[in-house]
Amino acid sequence: MLRFAEEVLLLILNDEDGRFARVPDWSLSYALAGGVLMDLAFENRIDTDLEKLVLVNAEPVGDNLLDPALADIVGMEDKRDARFWVERTAGWAGEIRERALKRLVERGILEVRDDRFLWVFRSRRYPVMDGKAEREVKLRIMEVLLSDQLPNPRDVVIICLADACGLFRRLLSKSELQSASERIDRVRKLDLIGQATTQAIRDIELSLAVLQQQHSF
Amino acid sequence: MQIATSREDAALVIAPSGRIDSAGADGLRSALETAASEAEKRVMVDFATVEYISSAGLRALLSGAKAVQTRGGGVVLCGLHLNVREVFDISGFSTVFDTFDDRGAAAAALR
Repeated sequence: MLRFAEEVLLLILNDEDGRFARVPDWSLSYALAGGVLMDLAFENRIDTDLEKLVLVNAEPVGDNLLDPALADIVGMEDKRDARFWVERTAGWAGEIRERALKRLVERGILEVRDDRFLWVFRSRRYPVMDGKAEREVKLRIMEVLLSDQLPNPRDVVIICLADACGLFRRLLSKSELQSASERIDRVRKLDLIGQATTQAIRDIELSLAVLQQQHSF
Repeated sequence: MQIATSREDAALVIAPSGRIDSAGADGLRSALETAASEAEKRVMVDFATVEYISSAGLRALLSGAKAVQTRGGGVVLCGLHLNVREVFDISGFSTVFDTFDDRGAAAAALR
């Protein structure tokens, strides 16, 4: 089974050229961080409530995507809330991204292609070699959005992370998005770490909007 | 956390007590999955003696209720104390589950 960070990366890859869709850096960083924390929660290493994130089991998972974040939590004496940990873990989102991509390549889901632009600038692409995993993630999302049945907890997480990155504008047509928006809004709230992730992103967007407004006067 | 089960009219009542956190979550999930495997159509989870629920508890509830629903049943909740209700309201669980003040009201709605 893929980790949430890997699923998010598959969702933001353009199938045609293997390049990443334009997603704000902070959105992707927080989504990857949220994904790692939610995987730790699913592995029963951490638990959260409205006020704090607590360590449940300090034993490493044996997964290089999750264990650095777990070690960080183990090393912190004070109890902090989920928002704190989303922001802190987002500090090494670049490493999470690189590790997740490496794993997807090793599993034969993606391949790496290095191109040169004007003989000087290098650009890296990740064309999809095996689209099954990506199709399955998208299918899971669509099944939840198009029904009024209870979602399962894993589907809640991926919908929350996709929404946090603004991916539904890419995955759904305008009319589909319009009719699914209420359902997306309802489902994405059902995970407390997911809520902290979304709120951290919304707060940055709000700060940027305020800054832009100030500069426009 | 302990879990008692009983019947209220035609509904199976699952009544956890204490804290539903990472230690107690499996018990709740397991009780709901047993209800699903026995094809229970009407299941009521009575939170009257639950003082705390964490994310792990919410996930267990969602996952277990999904199992009941997949087998054609339904799950309603009742007896949520203020602090537990606050978690349900903020997490949006109140919007995906029908909640009632007590067993009587939940049983009446399930009839």
